[in-house]
Formats: sequence, C-alpha cells, structure tokens
Amino acid sequence: MKEKQIELIVQKVMEQLQAKFPTENRADPIDKGLIFTEKDWETSIPKPAFQEGVADLITSTPARIGVWRTGTRPLTKTMLKLQFDHAAAIDAVGGEVLENYLEEFALFTVETCYENKEVYLKRPDKGRVLTDAAVQTITERCHNRPQVQIVVSDGLSACAVETNLKDVYPALLDSLQLNNLTCGTPFFVKGGRVACMDHIGEILEPEVLVLLIGERPGLVSASSMSAYMCYRPRKGIVESDRNVISNIHPLGTPPVEAGAHIGTVLQKMLEQKASGVKLEL
Amino acid sequence: MKSSITLLHKTYQFRDLKEILAKANEEKSGDQLAGIAANDAQERLAARHLLADLTLSEIRNNPVLAPEEDEVSRLIEESINEKIYQSIANWTVSELRETLLSDNTTNHEISRIRRGLTSEMAAAAAKIMSNLDLIQAASKIEIITQCNYPIGHKGTLAGRAQPNHPTDSIQGIKASLYEALSYGIGDAVIGINPVIDTAESVKQILQMTRDEIDRFQIPTQNCVLAHVTTQMRAIKNGAPSDLLFQSLAGTEAGNKAFGISIDLLNEANELIQKEGTSHGPNLWYFETGQGSELSSDAHHCIDQVTLESRCYGLAKKYKPFIVNTVVGFIGPEYLFNSKQVIRAGLEDHFMGKLQGIPMGVDVCYTNHMKADQNDMENLAILLGSAGVNFLIGVPMADDCMLNYQSTSFHDIASVRSVLGLRPAPYFEKWLEKMGIIEDGRLTGRAGDPTIFM
Amino acid sequence: MSTVVIKSVGIDIGTSTSKFMMSELTLGRVSSHFSLPQFDIIERKVTYVSEIIATPLKNEEEIDLPSLVSWLEKEYQQVGLTLSDIKSGAVIITGETAIKKNADALIHYLAERSGDFVVAIAGASLEAVLAGKGSGAARHSQSSRAAIANIDIGGGTANVVVFQQGKVLETITFHVGGRLIEINSLGEVLRVSPSLKPWLCFKKFRVEKGMRLSLTELIEITSGLCGDLLDVLAGEKTISSLENLVHSTSCQGLPRIQEVMVSGGVGRLALEAPPATLADVAKFNDIGPLLASELMKAVKRYHFNVVEAAQTSSATVIGAGTQTTKLSGATISIQPELLPLRNIPVVKAALSEMDFEQQMEQAFLKGKEWFVGNDRLPFAIGLGGTLYLSYLMLKEIAGSIGNLYAKYFPSAEVLAVVCENDMAKALGQALRLQTKFQVICIDQIGIEHGDYIDIGAPLKDELVPVVVKTLAFS
Repeated sequence: MKEKQIELIVQKVMEQLQAKFPTENRADPIDKGLIFTEKDWETSIPKPAFQEGVADLITSTPARIGVWRTGTRPLTKTMLKLQFDHAAAIDAVGGEVLENYLEEFALFTVETCYENKEVYLKRPDKGRVLTDAAVQTITERCHNRPQVQIVVSDGLSACAVETNLKDVYPALLDSLQLNNLTCGTPFFVKGGRVACMDHIGEILEPEVLVLLIGERPGLVSASSMSAYMCYRPRKGIVESDRNVISNIHPLGTPPVEAGAHIGTVLQKMLEQKASGVKLEL
Repeated sequence: MKSSITLLHKTYQFRDLKEILAKANEEKSGDQLAGIAANDAQERLAARHLLADLTLSEIRNNPVLAPEEDEVSRLIEESINEKIYQSIANWTVSELRETLLSDNTTNHEISRIRRGLTSEMAAAAAKIMSNLDLIQAASKIEIITQCNYPIGHKGTLAGRAQPNHPTDSIQGIKASLYEALSYGIGDAVIGINPVIDTAESVKQILQMTRDEIDRFQIPTQNCVLAHVTTQMRAIKNGAPSDLLFQSLAGTEAGNKAFGISIDLLNEANELIQKEGTSHGPNLWYFETGQGSELSSDAHHCIDQVTLESRCYGLAKKYKPFIVNTVVGFIGPEYLFNSKQVIRAGLEDHFMGKLQGIPMGVDVCYTNHMKADQNDMENLAILLGSAGVNFLIGVPMADDCMLNYQSTSFHDIASVRSVLGLRPAPYFEKWLEKMGIIEDGRLTGRAGDPTIFM
Repeated sequence: MSTVVIKSVGIDIGTSTSKFMMSELTLGRVSSHFSLPQFDIIERKVTYVSEIIATPLKNEEEIDLPSLVSWLEKEYQQVGLTLSDIKSGAVIITGETAIKKNADALIHYLAERSGDFVVAIAGASLEAVLAGKGSGAARHSQSSRAAIANIDIGGGTANVVVFQQGKVLETITFHVGGRLIEINSLGEVLRVSPSLKPWLCFKKFRVEKGMRLSLTELIEITSGLCGDLLDVLAGEKTISSLENLVHSTSCQGLPRIQEVMVSGGVGRLALEAPPATLADVAKFNDIGPLLASELMKAVKRYHFNVVEAAQTSSATVIGAGTQTTKLSGATISIQPELLPLRNIPVVKAALSEMDFEQQMEQAFLKGKEWFVGNDRLPFAIGLGGTLYLSYLMLKEIAGSIGNLYAKYFPSAEVLAVVCENDMAKALGQALRLQTKFQVICIDQIGIEHGDYIDIGAPLKDELVPVVVKTLAFS
C-alpha cells in the first residue's frame, strides 16, 4: 500500500516537474511510466573545490548535505525530496493497520480511549488507558500472569507495524525460545501510547512486557518502530523504569537483529528482577 | 484585585490571577490538556480585559507560585530592583504594553524598566499583545553578549550550526559542520546534540570542534548539548568547552525532572568560570520551550506562557551568551498547529528580550503536528523582523538525529538576504576572508563544504 | 559502565632491531541507550615503549629464540604485566626477518606466550599500513586534501602506504633497507642481502662480500636506491620497470602523491646529521645512516612536501600494538568456551536473493579444496553484501549454510560465520534452531576471501576482539 502511495506522489511531482521544465529527453513519460529513485532526487555541487572529498562528506552522514543552491534557496529537487519525505511522515501518522495484516500473526485488536486521531494527538493520556471493552476482552482471551507478554500497537506510525512486524516478531519469538522463555497471548492495541503498558500490566500481571509500537515518524523513515520493555509493568511506572530499542526499520536498527536481542534483554530483566536504569545490561 | 468582569451582559468570574493569566492566552493545546484554557473565545477576551487593567503591583502581590514553595519564584522575586519597581508598580498591564510600543520608549529605557519587572509581568504583557505588537516591541531591544566573540547587534542575524549525527560519528558531524560554515552559518555557536550522553563521547566531539575552530580560526564558540553533569565531567577530564548548556524549566519541580536545581547550576557556573576555554563574560547556553513543565507534571496549573517566561527569569541570573526556545519540538499536545507554533515563537522571543535575554529561536515542528516547512519559513521571517539574535541551522532543515524539522542553512541565508541582515561582525569578516561572503552576499564558493577539506 | 580499558601489546621483530610496546585501549559504548549496544575503541594510549634492541640472531639464518624470549620476559616484568592482564596485541615479524628459517615457528610461539589474545601477523602490506598508522601519517591525512605516502624503512624493506582522508589507498614494498649491505668502517663489505642482488645487477653495481667500497661508491648505490624508490612514488618510473626493486604491491600504478612522511629506523637516522666519513656511515656496520641522509637529500628534488613523522623507529610496533585489534558488533551469537579461535581461514559469499545457495556451495567447494587439516572447524564463512535481511531470507540463509556445511564437512562440529552487516545475533539464533552445530556468529567485520581471522574471548557478554589478517600478496 505504501509503495502505491509513493508511486502516486512521485507521479504527481514528476508531472509538475515536466510541465515546468520540459526537457529534450522527455521520451513519452506516460508510456514508460515514471520511476523515481533516490538517484533522481540527487543534486550536486557544480564545481567543488575538492572533488574527491565530496563523496567522503556525503557518505559520512544521512544529513542532507552537498545539495547546492540557487541564490540562497535550495535546488528544486532537493526541496521536493524534503516535501516528499514529509508527506510520507504525515500519511504514516494518519494511517491505520489493516486487520488482515494482523490476522497473519494471530493478533486480535483492542482499543484505548483515544476516540479519534485528533484526540489521540491532543490527549496522550487517553492513549494510555484501554477501553472497558478492551479490558474485558483481554481478561477473557489472554493467558493471565504470563512470563512474557507481547503487545503490538500502531502508536504514531501505522506503517511502522506493517513494515517491521513480519521481521521483528518471529525473530523475537525465536529469541524467547532460545532463552527458554514462555509467552502469553499477544494482541494489538489500536491508538496506544507507551504507558498503556502499565494498564495492561495491571490487568494481566506479566513478569515482563514488551510493546512493539510505531514511533513518531521522522523524515529518514516514516516507518520506524520501538520496542519498549518493562519488568512487572503497573501504575506509577516512570519513564526510567523502562528499556527501549528504538529506530527499528530497514535502514536503521535491523528488525531481525532487534527482535533477536529483545529475548536477551527480557532474560536479564527476569534474572535481575528489574528494568530501566536499574537494569545492568 | 479585580477578578470578575461583565462583557455584553455576561459576567465572568475568575478564581485568581493564575486563572486569569491562563485564560487570557491565545488558544494552545497544552493549556487545554492541562484543563486551564478558556472555555470559549469570549471568556478568553474577558480574561484579557481583566488582565489589561491589573497593575504590576497586583501581579507581584499575587504570586502564581509562592516563593516559599519554589526556588525559581524566589530567584525571580529576589532579582527585582525595588526602586525601579516602585516607579512602575502602578502601571496597568495595558500601560506596560503601550509604553513598550511607544515611539518614545527606547532600548535604553526598556533596559531600565526590565529591572523592575517579574517574569509574570512580562508574560502578562505578551498575553495582551498581538503578533505584530510582539514583533514591534522586541525589534527595539538589542541584547549583545559575548562568549568568544560578540553577537546580537542590530542589523545582524546569527545562526547556530547544529551538525547532529544519528550515531555521533565525528566524521559525519564534521561533514555537516563544513556544510553549515560554507553557507555562513555558525556564528552563534557550533552546537551538537549528542546521542550518547557520556563524558568520553562529549569530550571527543568538543575536541573535534575545537580543532576545527583553531584550524580555520573561526570566530565562534563550541558546545555539546549533553546534560550539564555530563559536560561537567567532560570539562573536568580536560574537554575544551566554551559554553555550558542546559535545558531549563520554569518551576523547581520542572527542573528536578531535568535533573537540575539552582544549586547544581551554581556549581556548574563556578566550574565554567574556572575551566571554560572562552573569553567570556557570557558562558551559558540555555534552551527552553512552552509545555515542558506540564510534560513532567510540574506545572502547578500555571499556563505554559507564564511558565516559559519564568525560564527567562531563571536564565537571567547566569548571564547567558545565548538562549533559545525550541518552540515546536514538544508535539501537538502542547502546540497543535502552525498557528500555535508561530504565536509561541513570537511570545517567547518577546518575553525573553524584554527580560534582557539574548534570544534565539529554534523554529521547528515534528511530523505529528499540523505544520510544515512553509510555516517555519513564515515564522523565521517574522522573527528576523523582530530582531531575533539567532536561528538554528540544520542541513535542509531536517535533523537526522533529533527527528524533527527546523530551519535550514539556506533559510538563514535567505532571511539575511531578504531582510538585509548580516552575520555577526567578526564572523562576517572571517567569511569574507574565506571567500564565502562578499558585500553581505553569498559568493560562488558558498555552499561548497569541500573548501574546508 | 560505559567504558572498558584493555591492555594491548605490540612486539616487532625486525631485520636489525626489535621493540616492545604496551598500550591501553579504551572501549566505549558508541550507541545510545535507545539503540542496540555498539562498542568501539575510543582511545588508544601508548603507555610504554621499550628500548630498541638488536634482534638476537643465532646465525645469519636463524633467530635466537631463547634470548628473544628472555628479553621479552624482562620487559613484561619491567612494566609489571602478567600474561593474563593482556587482552589483545600483535607480534609482527617485519622486513627480511620474516624469511629467516625459524620465523614462522617463532611468531606463533611468541603470540601464544604473550597474552590471552596476542596474535601473530606478517605480510608487507599489513606492515606498511600499521607503520603508517603508528607514524601519524594516517591521522595527518585526515586534515589534508593531499595523498600522503608513509615510507617506513627498516633494515630489510621500505614499506610504503598511501593514505588520503584517513583511508588506505595503496601499499607497495621495496627491497630498500639499511641492513641490505653490511660494511665495516673501512668500507669493506661484510654481507650483501640476496634480496638486493637483482637490483645491483640490473644497475651494474658490483658489490660482493670482501670488496672495499669508497664513500663515493656507497653514496652512488644508496642515492640510486632512493632515486628509484622516489621515482616510483612520483610516477616517473612505472612499477613494472623496477620489478627487481619492488618486493610486493597492491596495484600496478600509484595514485598521485603530494606528501611524504619517513618512519622506521632509517626514518629516525634521517633526523641526525648526515655521515661525513666512512666511519660515520658504518656506525652500525651497515648502510643505514647513508641511506637516511641520501633519502632526505633526494626527496628535495621532487615536488613532495615532507611532513615530519610523530613516530619513527617505533611506528610499526605502535601500529601493531594499537591498531590490529578490531571489535565485533555487540549483538552477536557466541559460545565463550570455544574462544579464542586462532588462524581460521575464510571463505566468502555475498548475500543475495538470487543464487545464494549456489554461491555458498561454490565457496564451500573451494574451501574444501584449499583448507585441509581442521576437521572440526575447516574455515569461517564470511558473509558480505548489503542486502536487507528479512526474517524469511534469514531462515533460508541459515538453512542453506547448515545443509551445505553438514553435507561437505560431516565431521565438523563448530560453525563460524563472520558477517559484514549487523545481523549476527539473528543469524546465529536461526543457525542454532536449524542446525546441530555449535555456533560462533559475529558481525560488523569486513573480511575477504583468503583472509585469516583470530577471534578472541569475549570482552563483555557479547563483544569479542577480532584480528583480520590479510595475506593478499605475500
């Protein structure tokens, strides 16, 4: 779905570009279709003082450098690329995870009190509490007091779940198996905030809980996921009682590697009966 | 103190000054989240009318947070010059606004008035000022400070080079720094937000920036924006730091959440006075931002504009070289959209300047806010007109480490060009020497980071 | 703890002299607490450099092992070290010594008796790189646009490495050294190294044992050596036209070089006053002092900017002690009881979606042919390529590796995999679940086909020191 969106945006941008700057090699864009890749966004410094150094600089950072300018303004492609990445981020915040995607992982869905996207953004407190219906559902359907409880949530990026869950989740299950840990009944929370862990902890009383949640989208990636982990989550837990592995996406922390490492962290929490800053990693 | 007002046959009753101050604010999602915002537009105006007629002495005599309960209140209260305060104590907030905007009130006069003001008075004035009022009043005020080199002169606009990197790669930071310098950005400070908050890592980054400053004899100052205690450890281990950095909140409890207190700041201040590497006399860099107190549940039901103003009251004690409000970083639950961000940026800049703070603004937003780059460009131009001391420069406005968007090197160069502003004086001479700027305009060499390789 | 300090030693056994050094490497966490752990060496501090001793020889061909060992023991005692204190380091045999009769036995003997994870290294290219890092040339190049050649001249060879922006461009080694001709104060030739003879013959110099050479003749020879070497560096002569002087090279043509730095024993002599008499020349019974002064004279005729070295005679030993050890990624999959592993050859395949299994099979066949002897662990598998690894792909790769390994090496017990990308923990996990082998799977180590690898005991839970030995052209 995301690819389709990208394609559409690219097509629109290209149409505008072509209308504005007709070029000779404009060989029938409709027939060939438009495929815009990273390379096509690139701009470069026309006559750098040290040509050999340009690649060294650009490859040393994901920051948008060496982009050049017209007057004091960026070149068109550089600017459109920024807008394009922002568009992806905006759509990630507004998106929803498809039910049938979750079925693949045998995850059922419950909701927090977030009501709708606008309330979700304005009232983080509402995303920390499950609805009464949700409380009832998980009480009925989930294994109580599991050693490890896995929860997945869209958070601020639905596409983070769609992009990464298929790699993080099975690697995480493998790591539990190798660490001889047993897992409760996993489920999906729609409209969740990180601290919904505490509410779930009160209800199911797991020894450790791991929440895989979509992060606030950045421009480098709109589909970045975090894994929050907590020993005996409950009301009154503070930020520093949790551990997190963030920036999980194909161009960041490799999803399979992150999944594989979570088991080790959970194992340590169980051994030390602690999490967060108190946990020695 | 009057606490009720009748407008159009409807009477509005407020409990106390705290409520009047909160409800007089322009709409902010943060005040709504705290449950202290006006219920509707008319109530907002009722509060504003009442506030306009309150005297400065009424504001002082009705503290929003008692000095006995909070060290920030104490510090602000103790720093008032009683003689000057007496001379203006009977002014209403309305009169304060009109005095600040009057043609007869100069920068010189404002520098006297500010010594009789509390942070709450500055906030009160901001609440009854329109956006252009905030620009007009702030534009009169000139706050020049010096770390290694002075910035803040009228007719100048400085930039912080913010060459952050997602893994603190020294090479990567250097690459973005070269890009910044090649656009004429970096006169305010070369300041890096580190990913890794350890003294060793902070020291490495400070050492690299120091080496680059020495190598090209750049008239600027360096700083790594780690927690102040980490910077202190790094400095004690010999790290060359020109400035100390810390985020501030407007209440004691808010600062506690940041892991600081006035005692700790005093200790740090002593250290940087003794072991800092710069000329001085201004050795601090502070960051603030509306909403931080609420986010740590340390707001005491005070509105976010008033709390922000109190940050500047606290900052003033340490005679900072630069302060900036990170205006839109905190998220939509505090500032929902671009309208709120723009308003907050202008309020913060004005309140800071009025209190004698060398204000810069991190004109910024996150991707879950209803804002985009156009809004930031608007605010940058507004602040440029208001005489902001510096803006933040990030490659193409996209900070690949903090994951938010600010203003770009291009943007700062553009604001300078459109409004006829120059870089800080020593830095401009250096840029001319390096062939990056000529007669205040970028040359053909500008924008090529390889000139520093 | 965000940092760990380990002690690392360097031992350099050269043609004419030997040195020992001790350093402290500070390992620091270089990732935030919101990321997977990642460590790197954040500081390298040299804490001790020994006196330079003449390499003890039994005869022309053989190193005097007992003397060397007792010297080393004394040095360890002096700095108050026991073997268990030392967590990394390298023994390097440089120059011509490497071809002496018992060198190979010696190097491994020393490595195994110098600390937990002290490795043996050899090879002219590696030597050149280490010297260039130890001399300060690599560091210098980071703040310069120019390509800089570090010329490290010892007794037997001149090892040249070219750096630009801190990166190695090329290496080349010449048969140019201070001890290639041994003389006494009368100019009488005591010995001529066989490695110099082809060049002498090519240049029509007649130099034989017992002959007496005048100062002028010696100057002619040494300036000829320096001239040819510098001509190659300046691009005025091709490498192929001087085959008889070139020991080995990584390339057929060198990049344009703007700066040179001179290190090594001859580099140190270059800082002294040039010898005026035959007796001055023969101070060490060889041509070292004259080679040094002729080199400094000759280099002025070229466009090169000469940059002073931070370290001269100790450049290689410092490089060996501080620069050979790399760190693996900190999320890996190991069984500590299997470590350290030494001298494991490497076969390599690139991750790909198309033909991974065929590639792997071919690599295994080559490995089976080349590396015989260790049935338990015949070789390590290097995995390169930048492919994004999905869970599905990971399973397939683990399956392919497991099946092929079992098929071709039925008696193997340990499976060692070295990945370039951050994936070792996930892959190791998959290998454990899908195969019967004991698994060592580490990552973030660049490695090539035919390299040898040493993997040390863990420094933290999941962090091992690694030395990759590239023996590409020796």
